[in-house]
Amino acid sequence: MMNPSATTPPSTADVALLAFGNGAELAARDLYAVAAGLSAFSDEEQAVLVGFHDHHRAAAQALAGLVGSDAPNVREDAVYNAFRSRLEGTDKSAIYDALRELENTLVATHTTLVGTLDGTAGSALIASVITTQARHAAVLALVAGRALNDALVNSATALTPGAN
Amino acid sequence: MNRYSRRQVLRFGGVGVAGVVLAACGKQAKVPESENVVSVGPAPSKVTLPNVEVNDVVLLRTAASLEFNAIDTYDAALGLGVFTGAFAAAGDIAKRLRDDHKGHAEAINGLITKLGGTPFTCGNPRITEVYIAPALELITATDNENPALDVVVLAHALENLAAQTYQGVVTMLSDKSLRQAAIGIGQDEARHAVVLAQALNPGLGGILPSVNPDTGKANVAAVPSAFGPLTPINVTVGPVQADGSRVSLILETPSLNSLAYDSVSCS
Repeated sequence: MMNPSATTPPSTADVALLAFGNGAELAARDLYAVAAGLSAFSDEEQAVLVGFHDHHRAAAQALAGLVGSDAPNVREDAVYNAFRSRLEGTDKSAIYDALRELENTLVATHTTLVGTLDGTAGSALIASVITTQARHAAVLALVAGRALNDALVNSATALTPGAN
Repeated sequence: MNRYSRRQVLRFGGVGVAGVVLAACGKQAKVPESENVVSVGPAPSKVTLPNVEVNDVVLLRTAASLEFNAIDTYDAALGLGVFTGAFAAAGDIAKRLRDDHKGHAEAINGLITKLGGTPFTCGNPRITEVYIAPALELITATDNENPALDVVVLAHALENLAAQTYQGVVTMLSDKSLRQAAIGIGQDEARHAVVLAQALNPGLGGILPSVNPDTGKANVAAVPSAFGPLTPINVTVGPVQADGSRVSLILETPSLNSLAYDSVSCS
């Protein structure tokens, strides 16, 4: 394994970006809570959705830990509202598609953050979140019965912090 | 006549003995110096290691080398002719993933060229030697009952290794745009790993971590944890041995002895 390199703490500019990430992750957490509560899903399917919900909560908590007292710890409503209306009904594949788009959007957003953050402590954490959420997206494509390409390709656009 | 006490005699005597010992350890007059410890037989010649630096180009060359490791492994797997019958679909997946790795290698080598470095266009020699060659030898053993399954196990491990490597170099790359490019490819590798994990342990039960109740060992999981791990990867492949066990290999991301330094070439 590569030697661990010393990480550098978040800069002042990083704090705002990581705080946005914290809010976006809390929005994802709440969206998964909505999806997991739908009666369309079986117990086994709900267990997976709850698992992904927990991953987003863990990401939000880790980001809050890095940001410190400046962490908003409040969900980013713009993200929540963009997806909430698609988490209804009994069409499970459509709901999985909405969640996959959410995951791909977060992956694109976090990837942009990695190219912006000054401190490597933030980059390292975000990178570890990206690889997990890319896995979420691929899983959601597979359980929805979509094509292999849908599991492997991310065509989502990154969110812009502070744009909403 | 000087008179010395018993204590003074002992003290002076001690100083004298220490002087003799120190003199014996130091340079000796008229004795030729040697760089080697005196030994019987011919002394090996001194090998001077090149001065190497772990910089962005070296890290990217290492990433490129892993892409070629993956390409070579998929090519080898496809060449085995094991993807038939129930595994026919796995062959199509293998071709798609191999082609993705070709695209990744091209992208990484493009970045290396922009930085003024020399692209790396073959598999990492050290990774091939210690991981892939032994694994393929076990997989292709005549008494291995399920080489097709083992090939998927190896490919899954290599995809996880690649994802971990890209994730790990994020903190080592000095340029922020390179960090972004690296994790952009790393997330691709994580998706590859999911597809292969679902081939090995399909369905909803294979998504989150679980334990095999019979063996007590962890099952393959598409999403093994809340954060991307940077831990060694266990690969169990090959024929069942006399004691009922199978050989396990432990894969780790490239280290200082397996980076693609400027002095490492494909020739």
